[in-house]
Amino acid sequence: MSLIFALSPLIVVTVGALLLMLAEAFSKNKEGLAVGSTMVLTAGGAFAGAVWMKGFEGADVESLAPWLIIDRFSLFFFMLLCLGGALATLLAGGYLPEHRLDRGEFYSLLLFTTLGAMILSAAGDLLTVFLGLETMSLGAYCMTAFRRASVRSAEGALKYFLLGSFAAAIMLYGFALLYGITGTTSLVGISKAMRAGASHGPGAIFALILVLVGLIFKVSGVPFHMWTPDAYEGAPTPATTYMSVAVKSGGFAMMLRVLITAFGDPQSMSWGSGWPPALALVAVLTMTVANLTAGQQESVKRMLAYSSIAHAGYLLVGVVAIMRAHEQATASVLFYLLTYTVSTAGAFGALILCGRRGAEAVSLEDLAGIGKRHPAAALPFALFLLSLAGVPPTAGFFGKWFIFRAAMDSGFYWLTIIAFINSVIGAYYYLRVLVFMYMREPAAGAPVATPMRSGYVSTALLVSAVLVLALGLCPSTSLDVAVQAATGLGG
Amino acid sequence: MIPLEAYITLSAFLFVIGGFGFLIRRNVIVTLLSIEVMLNAVNLAFVAFNRAHAADANAVGAHTGQVFAFFGIAAAAAETAVGLAIVLSMFRLKRSVRTDEADLLKN
Repeated sequence: MSLIFALSPLIVVTVGALLLMLAEAFSKNKEGLAVGSTMVLTAGGAFAGAVWMKGFEGADVESLAPWLIIDRFSLFFFMLLCLGGALATLLAGGYLPEHRLDRGEFYSLLLFTTLGAMILSAAGDLLTVFLGLETMSLGAYCMTAFRRASVRSAEGALKYFLLGSFAAAIMLYGFALLYGITGTTSLVGISKAMRAGASHGPGAIFALILVLVGLIFKVSGVPFHMWTPDAYEGAPTPATTYMSVAVKSGGFAMMLRVLITAFGDPQSMSWGSGWPPALALVAVLTMTVANLTAGQQESVKRMLAYSSIAHAGYLLVGVVAIMRAHEQATASVLFYLLTYTVSTAGAFGALILCGRRGAEAVSLEDLAGIGKRHPAAALPFALFLLSLAGVPPTAGFFGKWFIFRAAMDSGFYWLTIIAFINSVIGAYYYLRVLVFMYMREPAAGAPVATPMRSGYVSTALLVSAVLVLALGLCPSTSLDVAVQAATGLGG
Repeated sequence: MIPLEAYITLSAFLFVIGGFGFLIRRNVIVTLLSIEVMLNAVNLAFVAFNRAHAADANAVGAHTGQVFAFFGIAAAAAETAVGLAIVLSMFRLKRSVRTDEADLLKN
């Protein structure tokens, strides 16, 4: 019984997703689906919270190992993914009817994708890692292609699908090599074999490179980021929100779990012959390329896509710092993911709110003067952009602060300086949107965005805004939760 | 008995052929086929490694590689289904299955 309790977040989301799929098939009324899926995801997150509070000692969770590992790390991600998914469903509840895309399968896809991401974050074996990854990715491809009448949507989905499957195949070959070298597919078993000396062979290094390619692709690090702007721009905006929030969190959960558990031996984690220098290079490239490209974008959605790549770069800085300051750096990555989730979901939500069918907010010009014409729509957008830029007292400031401090404490001063310079460059393009919203007037006769009205979108924005301010004003409670989650992930 | 090296060499060849096919060919259907070849190379490697590792067929985890290969086949089938659906929706709109004609989204 207590095992079922420990697994309840996964069970709730699975059963809820199946029931909603049935309801979608038999009901004429699509209105309730958004509420239903939000409730399922909220319940999943609440159950994860309950398991966290009550504890799961003696729940025989060991019997699930190595396939699924229920620890505070996975519970943290259950809550985070359910939060991100719930915000995205609320946005979808407003966006899809407004843009005549109101087909119910979007919610089922979103729920099953969340389930895949949750399995991915709890996976302790290469097999479950692979299954969770595929469940998550297939749903994300479908959601990208959801606007079936739009060439952009199909094209973004095609690029995402082709490159995603290619990267998955490369990573899977790495898994096969790891199995060949160590004789086991469990992450703990691989770690044991690595510590026993398997990590010195050329095969292990080759396998590590292949696995790293897949991991970096999934979190859209440069040079494997080419799909991200296209897929994010082509997808309907709630799907973009979901991908940049939940799918990216799932990718980082997989990256942390695989790198720390399977490649956590001194040899693979060393600066001389392991993954940290490769990841540090990717982090520098990711931040720099994404921030420089984001400033040149005319489409706000594409700018936010590049911004999400840049944030992956900051997160990678934290992942590199795990090499020397294990718990502190892991906790800073987890906390950053939380602040990034609420800020990004809010920013995309505000972008949705700013436009209605026929008067969408696409380019910066569309947003010109919206701060004066529609202050209620512009104000939340401004708040979330400031949070993404890392201005105090918003959540984004403390997210960056803890990552930079973890990097400093582990001696990566040069990496911290590069990340700091990048966050200054990043502030430029966030503030540019604010300049357009508050200090420009639209050219005469130019099309301007008109805000839509939707209770769902407003609710999502309200929740995100409260969390952004709460995390910015008193981050200590959630940081404590992140530290406990990081401690759960044994090195 | 055929040695493990032979299987792994074949698997590596298949993987490289698939990878090159993915990078060089511009027809989406052929690109999908290339990914399929890569995934089958992975399955072959898993099954070959399984045979090399499992001395005792009754031991726990003696069939891990084979089980992995089955899951790989199932996931590849699901992936192809989604991929063909995306290609189909692209073809309906553009009347083309060439990747170099998918050039609407760019910086």
